[in-house]
Amino acid sequence: MSGEGGTQRSAIEASVLGEVAEDLRDVIGEEYALDMEISMETTFSHDLELESIEFVALADRLRERYGEAVDFVGFLATMDVDQVINMRVGEVVEFIVDSLPAPATAGSA
Amino acid sequence: MAEVLANGVRLHVQRLAPRGGASPDAPVVVMVHGMVMDNMSSFYFALGTCLADAGCDVICYDLRGHGRSERTPEGYQLADSLADLAGLLDALGVDRPVHVVGNSYGATMALAFGLGSTERVASLTLIEPPFLIDGLGEEMARSLSQILVAMADDEVQEWLDNGAGRVAGRATRAARRLLEETSIATDMLATPPFSPAALSALPVPVLAVYGENSDIIGQATGLASLVPDCTLIVLEHHTHMVLREATAYLRELLRWWLLDRDAPAPTYVRATTRRFETPQWVTDMVPPPDLNRTRRGELAEGSRR
Repeated sequence: MSGEGGTQRSAIEASVLGEVAEDLRDVIGEEYALDMEISMETTFSHDLELESIEFVALADRLRERYGEAVDFVGFLATMDVDQVINMRVGEVVEFIVDSLPAPATAGSA
Repeated sequence: MAEVLANGVRLHVQRLAPRGGASPDAPVVVMVHGMVMDNMSSFYFALGTCLADAGCDVICYDLRGHGRSERTPEGYQLADSLADLAGLLDALGVDRPVHVVGNSYGATMALAFGLGSTERVASLTLIEPPFLIDGLGEEMARSLSQILVAMADDEVQEWLDNGAGRVAGRATRAARRLLEETSIATDMLATPPFSPAALSALPVPVLAVYGENSDIIGQATGLASLVPDCTLIVLEHHTHMVLREATAYLRELLRWWLLDRDAPAPTYVRATTRRFETPQWVTDMVPPPDLNRTRRGELAEGSRR
């Protein structure tokens, strides 16, 4: 069961990573962001040189994309601006995946 | 992106609420950032998300000319800023008195809004407000002049061309464009002083927060002595940059102020673990004498101590 769940989670993570990366590239809106590989390990501040106001714009898009299911306010409320901006993209992806309702799987316990 | 047309200006707004939405009687909190080198993100991350998570209906916005709001060529006088704020509340349909929280010149604005639109204000939180009381000194003109000199410097231009990282470069370029392409400098210098009579008649509760080592600490006692309902908090060891330096305490303080004011105010215990690492010249808005040799200059300075 964990194998299938693990594969499923990886697929969901990959999908969410793609969505977050797309929103990031839109927010940054510059050439270098279009060519950059954005992975789970990419950091907002160090790798992407994201301004904190750009992170606000990203959070806005993600709130719109994922709706009530993902409590970004609660997530960000535990951090200060330096902690937010030093996160890896993967931390945001994992939070989103953890928040989304689990998809129904046949035969799950 | 959340955009609102207020007073004829396109403003970038972010409204934050707890999971499930704010309750109908939750405090509505409007956060007003400082001028020139600031935008809504400072309040959004320091206090906005925390207060929303705690139950408040939080409104953060970028002042015109800042962040992602429209940069108009004119209209940066205090009266314009207040009209923008009133227009924003109208556009958002906010019809209850709001708790205005301001930082630096945003706090000056908040105080003016409290005096001019008293019926719309439930409380004021003023973090390091620079303002003049009729008859007193020239604080604001002096500090603004420093900013203008720093931004116009050829060495700043060279740094921008050659060495600035993306974040600092963008912030500095934006500030320079704001100063060079709009009337903001002259408009801010024209900020009228507040009358002692008006301050003495202010009926709303005020929370005033200063850093002990701030350039403008001298104004704190004047404010507290004039405003009838003023809670004055002075944070030891801190500078004008209190919002960034003492974020954890300010979260506690604002939660108390907005949600639990009958309880005793939280006392400040200085956090000793965190190192504040913004270079001093950024804080002072004065570039170091030789930008190309900053690192060696710093090392030399260190060895002299």
